Amino acid sequence: MEYRDYYKVLGVERSVTADALKTAYRRLARKYHPDVSKESNAEARFKEVQEAYEVLKDPEKRAAYDQLGANWKSGEQFRPPPDWGAGYEFSGGPPPGARRGRTSRAQGAGNSGGAQFSQEQFSDFFSSLFGGGSPFAEAGAEEDGGRAARDHHARVDIQLEEAFHGTTRTLELRRPSLGADGRVELTNHTVRVTIPAGVTEGQLIRLAGQGAAAGGGGPAGDLYLEAHILPDPRYALDGRDVTLTLPLAPWEAALGASVTVPTLGGSVSMQIPAGSQTGQKLRLRGRGLPGNPPGDEYVQLKIVLPPASSAEAKAVYEEMRAKLAFNPRADLGV
Amino acid sequence: MVRITQVYEAHLVGEGDWISATEVCQLCRIDLAAVQELAELGVVVGVRDSGAGWQMPASTLPRLRIVGALMRDLGVNASGAALALELLETQRVLERRIADLERLANGH
Repeated sequence: MEYRDYYKVLGVERSVTADALKTAYRRLARKYHPDVSKESNAEARFKEVQEAYEVLKDPEKRAAYDQLGANWKSGEQFRPPPDWGAGYEFSGGPPPGARRGRTSRAQGAGNSGGAQFSQEQFSDFFSSLFGGGSPFAEAGAEEDGGRAARDHHARVDIQLEEAFHGTTRTLELRRPSLGADGRVELTNHTVRVTIPAGVTEGQLIRLAGQGAAAGGGGPAGDLYLEAHILPDPRYALDGRDVTLTLPLAPWEAALGASVTVPTLGGSVSMQIPAGSQTGQKLRLRGRGLPGNPPGDEYVQLKIVLPPASSAEAKAVYEEMRAKLAFNPRADLGV
Repeated sequence: MVRITQVYEAHLVGEGDWISATEVCQLCRIDLAAVQELAELGVVVGVRDSGAGWQMPASTLPRLRIVGALMRDLGVNASGAALALELLETQRVLERRIADLERLANGH
């Protein structure tokens, strides 16, 4: 695995004070928070920042990390020393968020999409030093003695058409669980999930009882998938409604026409009223994402001019200029 | 490492579902006092259930998840997170509007 320079990630010196560390973290968290940031790599950067802060804000973890030495460079091949963690007493528990709602790492298998979702999904470097099986993970790892069931979260990316029809996803889930020796270990699970039609952006998909098993024989938690619908080149999505931009010839807009319009459920015929203008929206009721009630498809009209690239086309435009008393700038008073 | 393949049927947590405030707190990793403050601010709507607890529509979960993440990760309080959420939602509406206009101007 590769070494991670947590100080470099946060852009601070190794002598940084706790207050300055917090300030640096907050600044970077604000910049890369996936719910706020527009940076293309925001989610990955945010996890790096969180991971670094998770270690450096904790005096015990920071001291242990510092003992690795200052000569390591980010990206260098690294293995934990054999006596890692020896001689420390750990008073802290897992990250606050890890005490409940423990997270699974979900990755789409094949081309099914999917993404990591939560802050506890840190690097192998972190896991080897501070994760399951390390002295740090054992200290207070279960504040409730492991009795409570834990819900797992993952994000799943799906195409708009899949949201319309429903889909199946194969996910790689990496779950912490208690091994026979009582230590926390990470276990890989491959699960196939049937996602019902009509899922919307941000909606939660619950798989009851498929989270982590509770210690002490209690019921297992649930697995929650948060749906993220990928941008579609044709439709804009707003809740369950979709908007399609429909090009029209000038004569179709001026005279009215019956045109074929694509919808998520297949093409339909639509009547364009005479005198339609660019930007006007027509509604196809119930043609958005399924639901109760289903969404609508809005068809936004866009008049496209044929190019005056031939003698015939030029003649038609000349004739319009001669015969139509049309001033498109009349509203401007000119 | 153990590798298991299982097939699960999923349930969409949607408009028709109501979830206890306790479960909301767990799902969004937000404390109950913050949820109550958000209810007072009008960010979420809750109703009392037959016991002493609160129920909330599942449709509020995406908003509360963002509020919870902002409070937890950026250290803002409930009012600040609610304001940020409203600004983010306004920004997304405006971005959609811009995208609509760009589609009209540039083609599909």
